[in-house]
Amino acid sequence: MTMLARGALGWSREIVLGLYRSVLLVGLTAPIPAIGAAVWFFGTLFALSWSAKLTSPLIVVIVATAGEGALGAVWCAIAVSIAIRRGGRPLSQAARLLAGKWLGLRIEAQYRPLPPVTQMSTGFWWNGYEYHRTEREARRQGRMSHGLRDPQLYRDVLWIAAAAVTVLPAAVLPLLGLGAGISMVPVHAGYGVAMIIVGLALAPFAWRTLGPVASRFLGSTGPAALGKRVRELESIQADMTQTQAAELERIERGLHDGAQSRLVALGMSMGAAEQLIDTDPAAARTILAEARVSSAAALAELRLLVRGINPPVLAERGLVDAIRALALDTPVQVTVRSNIPSRPERPVESAIYFAVSELLANAAKHAHARQVSVELGYGGRTLTVAVTDDGGGGATAAHGSGLTGIERRMAALSGHVKIDSPAGGPTCVTVAVPCVLS
Amino acid sequence: MRVVIAEDLFLLRDGLVRLVQAYGHSVVAAVETGPAALDALLTSRPDVAIVDVRLPPTFSDEGLQAALAARREVPGLPVLILSQHVEQLYARELLADGQGGIGYQLKDRVLDAGQFMDALGRVAGGGTALDPAVVAKLLGRAGGMDKVRADPLASLTERERSVLALMAEGLSNTAIAGRLFLSEGAISKYTTTIFARLGLAAADDTNRRVRAVLTYLSANDQRSS
Repeated sequence: MTMLARGALGWSREIVLGLYRSVLLVGLTAPIPAIGAAVWFFGTLFALSWSAKLTSPLIVVIVATAGEGALGAVWCAIAVSIAIRRGGRPLSQAARLLAGKWLGLRIEAQYRPLPPVTQMSTGFWWNGYEYHRTEREARRQGRMSHGLRDPQLYRDVLWIAAAAVTVLPAAVLPLLGLGAGISMVPVHAGYGVAMIIVGLALAPFAWRTLGPVASRFLGSTGPAALGKRVRELESIQADMTQTQAAELERIERGLHDGAQSRLVALGMSMGAAEQLIDTDPAAARTILAEARVSSAAALAELRLLVRGINPPVLAERGLVDAIRALALDTPVQVTVRSNIPSRPERPVESAIYFAVSELLANAAKHAHARQVSVELGYGGRTLTVAVTDDGGGGATAAHGSGLTGIERRMAALSGHVKIDSPAGGPTCVTVAVPCVLS
Repeated sequence: MRVVIAEDLFLLRDGLVRLVQAYGHSVVAAVETGPAALDALLTSRPDVAIVDVRLPPTFSDEGLQAALAARREVPGLPVLILSQHVEQLYARELLADGQGGIGYQLKDRVLDAGQFMDALGRVAGGGTALDPAVVAKLLGRAGGMDKVRADPLASLTERERSVLALMAEGLSNTAIAGRLFLSEGAISKYTTTIFARLGLAAADDTNRRVRAVLTYLSANDQRSS
């Protein structure tokens, strides 16, 4: 009984939501077709009125009527193009927003930025398309040319046209059923109620036509999407070269200040011991003992450096065991679970390892977590690692934090990082990298 | 003692052979690859073996795997594992069978010939010789958790901790007394306290003591593996 009640409640919610969404969709898709239709209808009517009282041979009447009809169509086209210039972009953007909010579709548009207007040394103004004598003229013409040349606006026109014959009729149906039904009830109760029921039954589904149509027509054009990707890759490449240079510098400094200087000291101690061995064997022995301590310190430094470049466990055991080793060295309770079928490629392994290392350190140091779980999974050609802790939360990828570093490393592998860390915890950071495992 | 040495770097292998021979032991085989090491361990059944973790042909953990495989065939076969780095993960794997006769040391320790041969002798005798670095990690981890979980290790004093660390390395009471400049009686008092605090039954066997400590430590994070 309660389940039935809950079901009924769910359905009525769906219906109300569907009606609301249908109204919004009609509001978004109807204006431009409505303007076009109205201008065409009334324009043609008006034009036809000119020849209404014409008393001429039939052939002249036919030619005049045809001309008037064509004039109506021209007016309609002008009205629609003006409407699109004014309202096409906001209406399409609103549809993108709704598709994102209701259906989780992430549709990105690539409107070209308006080129700046600059004065050239010749005194003419350049608006990105042509030269003009005055700045005002350059701006006006620039906006016009821009509007005509942005491929995204052509996509918007396509969307408006497609929506007019798909989303609009579908969204109108439940509203039409409801409205017509209610007005019919006093005249013919049976038909009225039937139409209301049909209208309500359609409400939860009608608005969903937005999904396929929007994802087909609202996206950006191929070249624009490629352009965006190229810009992304350029910034990743710039980051990579920077990071690489910084890494090399760190290694160089580590070797120079550490092992290298210790070896120099070692050589000097040995030289001194060689000198002293006959005259003062006791002093020579002391120096040699010191030299041994110094060589041990050099080894320890090298070990630390190697760990930072390519962790030995990673090389020996692969990702999962390396993360287990990491978990053992972390001063909090860490649970590691994995269902990845084989070892990923080395760059992926290394990037994931350092990301997890950073995340575990964060969990222990900043979040003051007691329990951390690391879950490695593979599916849909993507390797994911979720690191969840029960700490304080509030982690963000603010500039200069470790998380931005992880994001950058992942971006280089076309991966991404998702941070879910409400203040007060818990924190869950998911790292996903596309890769192929067998 | 009859010793098998598996190490791929010629200089280190040669040095180890000389060192072992200088202490009056015989080297029955000195090999450089993982499969050869497994073969030597199983055919010549040495009194103790020195095996590098990373060996050809794959340069992954061939040596470690060879040692583990040999110990599955011959339980308790004494093996001293050498590595450029020490990992708790490997230490736990080596100690998991609870058979004793296990050493796990940084290659740096070879520099101190006396202590290294001491450790080798302990392993050959069925004891354990864990590197201080790995012991520090094991205890450090437990110590880091104590704030959170009211760990019994937290109740140990500084001195008791250092005794526990040396115990985990595999040293006998006499040896610990020597290292800490205390009397053997004082050490045995400390060990009794430690066992009581950790809730372990006291046992005088070196190997069993370490195993008890490590069992206790790994019981702490069974969920982590």
